[in-house]
Amino acid sequence: MPKPTASFTPSCGNRTLSGSDRPAGSGGHEHEHASESGAAFTRRVDALVAGLTHAGVTSDREITATLEAFLAGAGPSNGARIVARAWLDADFKARVLADANAAIAELGLDLSHWAPVTLRAVENTARVHNVIVCTLCSCYPIALLGPSPSRYKSEAYRSRVVREPRAVLREFGCAVGDDVQLRVWDSTAELRYFVLPRRPQGTADFDETQLAACVSRDALIGVAAASITPGSSG
Amino acid sequence: MKLAAGDRVMTSARNPAGHYRLPRYLRGKPGIVEALHGRYLLADERAAGRDVSEPLYTVAFAARDLWEEDAEADCIVHAELWESYLVGL
Amino acid sequence: MVSRLNDVGGMHGFGPIAHSVDEPPFHAEWEARVFALNRVLMLRGVYNLDEFRDAVERIDPARYLGMSYYERWLTAIEALLAQRATIV
Repeated sequence: MPKPTASFTPSCGNRTLSGSDRPAGSGGHEHEHASESGAAFTRRVDALVAGLTHAGVTSDREITATLEAFLAGAGPSNGARIVARAWLDADFKARVLADANAAIAELGLDLSHWAPVTLRAVENTARVHNVIVCTLCSCYPIALLGPSPSRYKSEAYRSRVVREPRAVLREFGCAVGDDVQLRVWDSTAELRYFVLPRRPQGTADFDETQLAACVSRDALIGVAAASITPGSSG
Repeated sequence: MKLAAGDRVMTSARNPAGHYRLPRYLRGKPGIVEALHGRYLLADERAAGRDVSEPLYTVAFAARDLWEEDAEADCIVHAELWESYLVGL
Repeated sequence: MVSRLNDVGGMHGFGPIAHSVDEPPFHAEWEARVFALNRVLMLRGVYNLDEFRDAVERIDPARYLGMSYYERWLTAIEALLAQRATIV
């Protein structure tokens, strides 16, 4: 790809960051971004892309292609397939738990289209329930599962699930018994977690496709159980 | 790597001004090493455009050590922490 | 100056967790473009993921709280590109 050499400054000239590059009390750039509509956001994005196109960094076409490739390759169904296979094949489950990146390649899943991350699966059992969060931002295995739900990104979820996970799970309709240990995984570095939920009752004669249909995005986060009727959540 | 799974650790109570991936609720707390992950680029340095790698660990914290009597029963909170986020090593 | 309002683990006062269902991956086209643009810029080495997170964390706190998730991303990207006025 060509190395861009032109200079670029966004037309917005947004310099709203705090910190050492802005002395305290220096005032600043006061666009009224707070009350913008979607059209205004679109104009800001258009301005960025136009400038970057002029500078030879990227183009609308590349951005669209990147988005389409991502949406085609990443989604909760990937996680559901992994879980379904793990339910049917104990050796595969052991490989997923030992090295998820290597194991998912067996299903033709490949994260190399995105930034390299180390995946880790954590297993729900009769004695352990796992739930995933990123309190510092919203880290999530997007290359595998697609974008996270809005509530996963919310301050409300991120602040509460490390402090009162059982209460949060009750609110999600996923109450966990007192005899079950609750493990919260806060994704503070470059590991990305997903949960292997428990296999629902009544699925003994289900094939892999039917089992995968029991696994919602919320179940992979740990805020829902896998279910024969997972509903439309997540 | 200086630590092994099962080792008891204490997290730093530092409050740096810059980008830092030890959440405030886990600072100055006792934990146990749950997993070793090899070396990863330290976020603090990467944010300044420098590549510095350190051992990375998953550390487990008992909820009662984080929230005292407000903690729910039998909860463990885990986080990935670089070696420089731990003290007394 | 207060900053780093991203670090919310354990905090009180953020209200109930919204329970949305059947949510699309992005709520507007501009959000999807911001998402993909961020990916391309990091792939190109214009900035790395921690530089991006740092830029989000350093958004003026009073404005940060009122911004939606992808508005924070957009604001951070604008600031990062402004700081790199010459891209070589």
